[in-house]
Amino acid sequence: MELNKIYKLAISFISILLLITLIGCSNSDTSGTENGKSDTEQTIEDPQAGGTLNVAFAAEPDTIDWMYTGASSTRDIGWHIFETLFALDKNYETKPMIAEGYEVNDDRTVYTISIREGVKFHDGSTVTAEDVAASIDRWRKVSSVGKIASQYIESVKATELTIEIELNEVYNSLLVDMSAPKSALMIIPAEIAESAGEQPLKPDQLIGTGPFKFEKWDRGNEIVLTKFEDYSARTEEDWGGLTGKKVAYFDQINFKIVKDPQVVVNGLKTNLYDYGQSIPPDLYTVVESTPTIDPVTYINGYSIITPDKSEAPFDDLKVRQALNYALDKKTIAQAAYGNEKFYSFDGALFVPEQTKLYSEKGTDMYLAYNTNKAKDLLEQSDYNGKPIKIMYANNYDDYKNISEVVKQQLEAVGFKVELVPYEWATYLEKWADPANWDLVVIGWSTRFSPNELGMLSLDTSSSGWYQSERWENLIAQYSNVTTDAERKEILGEMNQTVYDELPFVKIANESTLDIKSTKVKDYDSWIGQRFWNTWKSDK
Amino acid sequence: MLQYTIRRFISVIPVMFIVSVIVFLLVHLTPGNPAYLILGEDSSQESIKQLEQQLGLDKPIVVQFFDWIKNILTGDLGQSIYSSEPVTQVIFDRFGPTFSLMLLSLIFILVISIPIAIFVVAMRKTILDPIFLTISLLGVSIPEFWFAILLVLAFGVTFPIFPVAGYAPIAEGVFSWLYYLILPAFVLAAVEVGLIARMLRDGMLESINQDYTRTVRAKGVRESTVLMKHVFANALIPTTTVVGTAVAGLLGGTVIIETLFTIPGIGQLLIDSIYRRDYPVIQGVVLIISAIYVLINLLVDLLYAFLDPRIRYD
Repeated sequence: MELNKIYKLAISFISILLLITLIGCSNSDTSGTENGKSDTEQTIEDPQAGGTLNVAFAAEPDTIDWMYTGASSTRDIGWHIFETLFALDKNYETKPMIAEGYEVNDDRTVYTISIREGVKFHDGSTVTAEDVAASIDRWRKVSSVGKIASQYIESVKATELTIEIELNEVYNSLLVDMSAPKSALMIIPAEIAESAGEQPLKPDQLIGTGPFKFEKWDRGNEIVLTKFEDYSARTEEDWGGLTGKKVAYFDQINFKIVKDPQVVVNGLKTNLYDYGQSIPPDLYTVVESTPTIDPVTYINGYSIITPDKSEAPFDDLKVRQALNYALDKKTIAQAAYGNEKFYSFDGALFVPEQTKLYSEKGTDMYLAYNTNKAKDLLEQSDYNGKPIKIMYANNYDDYKNISEVVKQQLEAVGFKVELVPYEWATYLEKWADPANWDLVVIGWSTRFSPNELGMLSLDTSSSGWYQSERWENLIAQYSNVTTDAERKEILGEMNQTVYDELPFVKIANESTLDIKSTKVKDYDSWIGQRFWNTWKSDK
Repeated sequence: MLQYTIRRFISVIPVMFIVSVIVFLLVHLTPGNPAYLILGEDSSQESIKQLEQQLGLDKPIVVQFFDWIKNILTGDLGQSIYSSEPVTQVIFDRFGPTFSLMLLSLIFILVISIPIAIFVVAMRKTILDPIFLTISLLGVSIPEFWFAILLVLAFGVTFPIFPVAGYAPIAEGVFSWLYYLILPAFVLAAVEVGLIARMLRDGMLESINQDYTRTVRAKGVRESTVLMKHVFANALIPTTTVVGTAVAGLLGGTVIIETLFTIPGIGQLLIDSIYRRDYPVIQGVVLIISAIYVLINLLVDLLYAFLDPRIRYD
């Protein structure tokens, strides 16, 4: 071969390599300028039944037993399969689901709940009062919420389609607890509830009443649900949330385990997936500029800093007050979340979307940034200049960023600070011992009742060993009052208590970003993925 | 030879024992605990104690170790803490994707590197040789994850020829199996191709000027026959060792590639289990990977002796 030919060959080979590199790098330009999203330009289509929905699911759940755990990966799949007696509607209010309705006696200690007739389980049997009683029984033993409610329950009686729950004292949170979408009171056949006992349900025991039924679990790969043809739907079209009319349009839903968000975005671009979960906010611009992808955002609790109140220095209220004054939450949130769409400032214990639980009262001290006051308080306190340890989980960028900014701001008022990052599993273990930390930075997902607020459960590691008679009394009062106005009053008092005693310092409300293909229609974002009443257009 | 083989097999036993001790200690001395992970951030100390007891994690570590070893000797690697399935079953279920990936990668490696090496040696006096050296160095140095992302963007997103992620078992058809695996297998092969082609080239260049090669040439044998029959065959011996270690290296590479392409294989299983502190699964996977590693090395040694009759271990 002549040398000339070889040169040509070599040059063309190198050019091809370069071309591949260029194509790879120029990827973001290909999306073009037209922003053809939103349904506005299309005339309203009629829902199309059928097809398969491929969901890129960020974390493989340990179990799909939605009663056993409050983990959101369990919940988001579980509520397609299982349903509860009562459930939250789109405004986070309690509405009947499998229940028809209920009555309470005058001294509010006996609840008589009627069950809808002919509600079918996936195994073909019909829901009876025995099934409900057995489910309640198991809920009282395995669910974190059920364990709380259980202290008030004297007896549960089942007759035909009626359940009678007798309480040992007034407990007005009963229905709220029964409808909590966390470790939920899902209704399963009595024999399964009894045989499973306190163990999580096994795949062959995943029998519920929901619009989709469990098909298979290919571990590490996917969880497959199929449409339940005999689904017993309610009729209310405007309830939303987890109740009201549910129609399963898809024949099949594949929850595919995909951990890398970049893969999820690429997968949606190439129609490998139709929906993708948990996308970091810094990919928002990419999502927005892709015409075939819609962003989906929804509330997801808030970020907080919890001081260890069992030891110096944060056992001293003055030091905790100094902490609150020292923090410029706006700067922190800006640094942690970047895009304003994903955070908002509100000092309350619940978010404004939770209309029945939200009260803005008592939150004046939320944005009380004042370094001079912080310095004064710190001087008056017993703080001796010993470095404080801020512990956080380093697999979440948000909390890492928050911790770094908090460190700077605390140093500015005279604290000495040491950051101690851990990987999640280590972090959880270290959390249990007060010797390991002084402040933890963490996010708490949306809760639906004051007694579900884990960062305030008295004398536990999750609350930083918070002790408060005032809080204990408020929780007790809350389950004794009957009207919304009285509850609102107490919720305001609860906010005030948190700012007076500072068991934790709230940073900002958080929103989560999911993405969906523009072909997925009528999707309504709430607090997680629900794939009934939504469908896929073939256009 | 037989005696040598037996001796080598016996020497595997202490190696595996040491591996199992190290694996067990590493796993159990790492902070973190499955009980906390299962119960979540607002669990009480009592329920954590209770779960630890139920999982047998409250026993002294020495007792846990000997329980584990005793079970291994009967072929029982324990149960996954999360799915309650036997670890052997869990690993077996995940082995298909990893094996497929490694097999296809190995095919890529051999099919690409051998012809390239022969071609380059044939063209050894041209500019092609330094170009090859540069590219092979590049191939060895490119980080796998970077190359993977680049290929995904090029052939998955910009030109959507291949899927960006996922896996289809061979039972669903050879075509879709290949369709999902080509990109990840190619990335996995890339590093080793550079290395092996380079080894083969060096080996061939070494024997090309040997006396026996000159003799063959002097006899008037065609240059292509000289290359293939005499030079290539001799260069195969050192290359075999490298291919052996490459196969073992592929096993490590699958951990990264499986994560990037969401292939549900052993690598993903290992990563997930570490995050979840699923002790029996981590121990089982590492033990099996080590066993495969040791066996491959053993096989290479034996093959070495077989390929080169001059080598005898007595």
